[in-house]
Amino acid sequence: MAEPQPLRVQDRLAFLLALVPYLLDNDGVSVAQAANHFGVSAQRIRDAVELIAVSGVPGETKAYQPGDLFDIDWDRLEERDEIAITHQVAIDDSPRFSAREAAALIAGLQYIAALPANADRETVATLTAKLTRAANGAPAAVAVEGGTDTRLGQVQEAVAAGTVLVFDYLNGREEREERAVEPLRVESVDESWYLRAWDRSRRALRTFRLDRMRDVRSSPDATPERPEDIELPERIFQPSKQDRSVTIEIAEAALPLLADYLGDRPHTEPARRGWVRTRLRIAHLHGLKRLVAGRAGLLVVVDPADARAAVHEWAAAGLARYEQRPTR
Amino acid sequence: MAAAVSNEERLFSLVLALLATETGLTKADILSSVQGYRQRYRPGGGNASLERQFERDKEDIRDLGVPLESIELPADQGAVQYTRYRIPKGEYDLPADVTFTPKEIALLDLAALAWREGSLSGESRRALMKLRSLGIDSEEPLIGFAPRLRARDAAFDPLREAIERRRVVVFGYLKPGEAKVRRRRVAPLALVQFGGRWHVHGIDLAAKGRRTFLLSRIAGAVEETADGFEAPDGQPAEEAREGLRAVFHANRALLELAPDTDAAARLGSRGAPAGDGAVAVHFSDLALFADEVAAFGPEVLVLEPAELIDAVRARLAAVAAAHGSTDG
Repeated sequence: MAEPQPLRVQDRLAFLLALVPYLLDNDGVSVAQAANHFGVSAQRIRDAVELIAVSGVPGETKAYQPGDLFDIDWDRLEERDEIAITHQVAIDDSPRFSAREAAALIAGLQYIAALPANADRETVATLTAKLTRAANGAPAAVAVEGGTDTRLGQVQEAVAAGTVLVFDYLNGREEREERAVEPLRVESVDESWYLRAWDRSRRALRTFRLDRMRDVRSSPDATPERPEDIELPERIFQPSKQDRSVTIEIAEAALPLLADYLGDRPHTEPARRGWVRTRLRIAHLHGLKRLVAGRAGLLVVVDPADARAAVHEWAAAGLARYEQRPTR
Repeated sequence: MAAAVSNEERLFSLVLALLATETGLTKADILSSVQGYRQRYRPGGGNASLERQFERDKEDIRDLGVPLESIELPADQGAVQYTRYRIPKGEYDLPADVTFTPKEIALLDLAALAWREGSLSGESRRALMKLRSLGIDSEEPLIGFAPRLRARDAAFDPLREAIERRRVVVFGYLKPGEAKVRRRRVAPLALVQFGGRWHVHGIDLAAKGRRTFLLSRIAGAVEETADGFEAPDGQPAEEAREGLRAVFHANRALLELAPDTDAAARLGSRGAPAGDGAVAVHFSDLALFADEVAAFGPEVLVLEPAELIDAVRARLAAVAAAHGSTDG
């Protein structure tokens, strides 16, 4: 687990409140073990322990006398890097969840429940009941009906086993070809499923939509060809140097719907009332025409001319199918 | 004292002090004696900024699910009321009988991971810390698997907060087919993701009935009113989910998909053969499905229902017209 970046003071407080009961239950635990358990750096554990060791309650004298403070075995910490609390005040048990924390976990559970070989409905129901009881306040009702894909089980197994997958793939340029890949990670974004993998023929990382794969089969070949130090970037969609740029006008209200393509804060210029003009980076016109045709009345390509023509041709061809055909 | 006390230490000290007290502490007790406040406390007044600090700290602590109570008590003499603050330990501690198995911890890890982006990511992260606090090791995690739930709609956070606070909200809503945004007064009960889209389910106070709204159709800001409401019995999130499922099953389109195209791959994956080469696909919302179908241009011919044919044709005609002339 990566260290979460900017830590808010609430996160720091939550960490201290979580760490104390753990240390009490695991007397003499090593700094390394605690860091591993919480998924944080050893330094963060040491900093927290040093703060806990000088904290406490005002006490009767309201002067934080030694008996009012936590204490630890300092020699043991310095010599053996082990943590032993020798005096404890005020807390001994883990804190409850906030209603919102419980709600987030419950919704996340429902989402992953759609996966094969994961959580069945019963497990989700048991855990939901536990989390509800463990929360302070009723969790806000947030529910998720996860989608699934018939290829998911097989792909997931190949990722876990590290075997090569071979399948027919229809790429974004409307070309179908056989691909042999070393699967690295299955990712989802809401209802869509993706496989991120090392593509053997391209010798590069590629992202595949599961619903564009056909005839998926596992190959017994498990010898990786990919470079050892390969790292998956966090973002699924990576801009490429070959991308071209088109000018579009978009209804302002529709901007968040294009965040995947434009980023969270695209540079825009005012256009007609309620609309803005901006630049969109695209890999090719095949993707653009689909993007625009699916957003009628919200998105218009301004230039270049070949991009406008591609969109026009696509929509007109779609329309022609209805006009050629006698109504049933 | 020379070194300033960190925010983290002040908050931690406040929690410890309030947990240690049975009868509660007054604000004056806290400001004058608790670590982090007492260093800045001026006996005899002029503590306005410190008091504001205390108000913010209380909110931050409650946000974590810590049951920080304020008890209003009449003063012994005179009419002035005063407030005592405390954290009842019984409501702070996680109930002792709530335990999790290593397999359950692994599932909850994954559930929390799904929220790594967006509005519930902080909550999930803190919930995980609290789980770690119990000292239970996770079963071998599911490797190579990264589910991701998103809540990009601007209305998500204000609605979630209104659900927690049981407050009536007002928002503008644009129903498909209607040209004008209409104001809705709603007692929000649950947020539900279905088909990859977020919905809010609640009581429409003008229509006096349960309604489900798509967040992406909410126009402008969601305003929280001062009016509260009683939550009805039952499980609103489950009921909303059932309702959405029923609509999904009732809406069925018959499509002709051009072979070996993106439409055949993607819509075909979701549908079932319905004779004569046609594919039956269910959908939640006619307008949204029409957008999706229009994006496939000539790859899809809608056979029924008639409303969907009309909607797709209208979209394709609009896109063709908007990209028709060369002068833009």
